[in-house]
Amino acid sequence: MATQRVLPQSKETLLQNYNKRLKDDIRSILDNFTEIIKTAKIEDETQVSRPTQAEQDHYEMHVRAANIVRAGESLMKLVSDLKQFLILNDFPSVNDAISLQNQQLRSLQEECDKKLTSLRDEIAVDLYELEEEYYSSSYSQWDSTDLPLCEAYRRRDSWASPDSSCSSNQGDREDVDGPPPQETNPQHHLNGHGAASMEKP
Amino acid sequence: MANERLRVLEDVEKEIAAILQCAGNIVLELSKDKHNASFLDRQLVQFQSSVNRVESELSGQIRYLTQVATGQPHEGSTYSARKDCQMALNRAEYAKVKLGELGRTCEVMLEQPQQHQQPT
Repeated sequence: MATQRVLPQSKETLLQNYNKRLKDDIRSILDNFTEIIKTAKIEDETQVSRPTQAEQDHYEMHVRAANIVRAGESLMKLVSDLKQFLILNDFPSVNDAISLQNQQLRSLQEECDKKLTSLRDEIAVDLYELEEEYYSSSYSQWDSTDLPLCEAYRRRDSWASPDSSCSSNQGDREDVDGPPPQETNPQHHLNGHGAASMEKP
Repeated sequence: MANERLRVLEDVEKEIAAILQCAGNIVLELSKDKHNASFLDRQLVQFQSSVNRVESELSGQIRYLTQVATGQPHEGSTYSARKDCQMALNRAEYAKVKLGELGRTCEVMLEQPQQHQQPT
């Protein structure tokens, strides 16, 4: 609970207060306006002299007009309070807004991931050829913990058929334990964990 | 929808301003020597209808809130979906950056064809 709350009112008391304010302000507007119209009526018989009566009527109309304006301002404040109360406590609409927002964000995320996956599938073929070209050249500086795509595919094929012999180039490379988890995982690379094995010497 | 209710309350605010405007126009017209009766009637009808509409609309809103409001704070959030979406956009941005680097590397390599000849 807030430490600076002056009136610890329940929600029900608050809403009753809103009702009362609404009734009082509408009543004030109507009564004061009616009295202004009544005061505007010119009477032949007055208890005081006509200028005095005129001055009194003038002052009364000023006060009643000010009351109407004050009631109008109070109604505006009431509308502002109702808006605030609605935003904080109208759970059905808050739930609707939250679920709609979640739905939009999830659809955007799925669309983004779908496009990334299709991009990965398209690039995989080209990347295979690029890596084969690069690692067969004299400029490759790869380390054994990060297999190139072509080598990873070759090893996967050899593991898939256990009777097949291992690659003849295994003596030049360190053994890894089991299928390497870094086998063509673009997601893994895309999140910044890929090694910089393709940089120029 | 919350937006609909808030829009209705915005209209109520404009209606309240219209009430005060009508009251002022009526008093202004009465202050003249010759009154325009039809104008006075129109303004009066508009004044009364606006007052009734404001009262009924605000009463309806308060009645709805009486049925719907609880004493508890709402604990819903869109944080997780927003975070997931943000990470997906980060992945896309990272992929774009890496592809850009790859493209530049390939272009540089192509500009120096002699260095890429394979040793015999």
